[in-house]
Amino acid sequence: MSMPTETHSLDGRRMRSERTRQRIVEAYLSLLGETGQMPTANQIAERAGCSVRSIFERFTDLHALRVVVTDSAFAEANAQAVLRDVDADRPTRLQSQVRTRAQTCERWLPMWRALNANQGESEELKTRIRQARDMIVRRLELMYRPELAALAEDERRKVLLALEAITDFESWARMREHFGLSVEDAINLWIRTIDGLLPQAPVS
Amino acid sequence: MTASTVTDLPPDSASPPAKPERIDGRHLRSERTKRLIIEAYMALVRESSPRVPTAAEIAERAGYSVRSIFERFPDLQALRLAATDQAIADARATNAPRDLPADRATRLRAQVEIRGRGCDQWLPMWRVLNSNSADSAELQERIRMTRSLILRRIELVFKPELSTLPDAERSRTVLAIEALTDFESWARMREFFGLSFDEACAAWVRAIDSLLPPTPAGAS
Repeated sequence: MSMPTETHSLDGRRMRSERTRQRIVEAYLSLLGETGQMPTANQIAERAGCSVRSIFERFTDLHALRVVVTDSAFAEANAQAVLRDVDADRPTRLQSQVRTRAQTCERWLPMWRALNANQGESEELKTRIRQARDMIVRRLELMYRPELAALAEDERRKVLLALEAITDFESWARMREHFGLSVEDAINLWIRTIDGLLPQAPVS
Repeated sequence: MTASTVTDLPPDSASPPAKPERIDGRHLRSERTKRLIIEAYMALVRESSPRVPTAAEIAERAGYSVRSIFERFPDLQALRLAATDQAIADARATNAPRDLPADRATRLRAQVEIRGRGCDQWLPMWRVLNSNSADSAELQERIRMTRSLILRRIELVFKPELSTLPDAERSRTVLAIEALTDFESWARMREFFGLSFDEACAAWVRAIDSLLPPTPAGAS
């Protein structure tokens, strides 16, 4: 008659292990956000309040942890960057898209930089970068569909590439870090630039 | 005395200033070694960017010992700095603005082609520079200097159009063109979206053209 107790204890162990795993991922993300550098196993363990051994019991190596952290960051970033105002007028869509993108850049720049700098030969990380870029382009296509629909295929591609370049993480970083623009000034610059790049939408 | 110092002597010098000549010869050889080490570093960066080459790799490529490197550069950071300065000098020499008094379309095309070629050539160095600048004020200064040069170039090439804008608007337009024509923007068009050189240039030309105000009458 000890079965329920054993199951209960197994579930408890699994839950504790899952919590430790989550703390390790969060520790990695917070260290990365603070330093902009890939943290060491010792730093992660200290921040997560577990042993280095606990990390490697849950992740085969630091690269595997990096991939899990990347997936976790992308999931969180997507949840924060919900598409809004897709069917609104042009100024509202511009405000909405740029503010959402600015928020993403402001929050996830260190992670993005670390991901790019450490992708090395990792196909898994390269795939994540490709997926993130594809998603950025798809969002732009969706938000500016009325204006882009007015263009021929070749022109539409050129405009999309320009929009993608303008709203890149490093473009945001330069405005903020190198040129010292406030968040509002940087947002206004992007809005004005995107507005200049887009053609007028056809009158429906 | 080595062959090079003998041949460097003027033929009619009865009592040649032997010591300075020898020093000059040594100095010349040392400078040449230094240059070859920098060239080896730059070649390796082009091949393996953003990974930074090791001292052993640089020495092997340059055909010298590791010790030779550290006799000329106190550490790899100093070599990185010297290579960065060399790259900036080379880029300035080969990418001088052209067609400045030309019409808008010609200036646009020329600027974009020069910038595109510069990005193709210097992207690996740029990536290494950026990924290693965190703990070097000198490298950060080089990044600032390069960005300032790019901004000044944009202001110069599109002066007729930019001069029609109020200050704040002009600054915003220059920053937008700078963001658009960044190294990594070029890299994404070429590496990620698979555009040819001409296609990437055409995308930039179209975008810059739509960001600039009309060219004032009477201006080139």
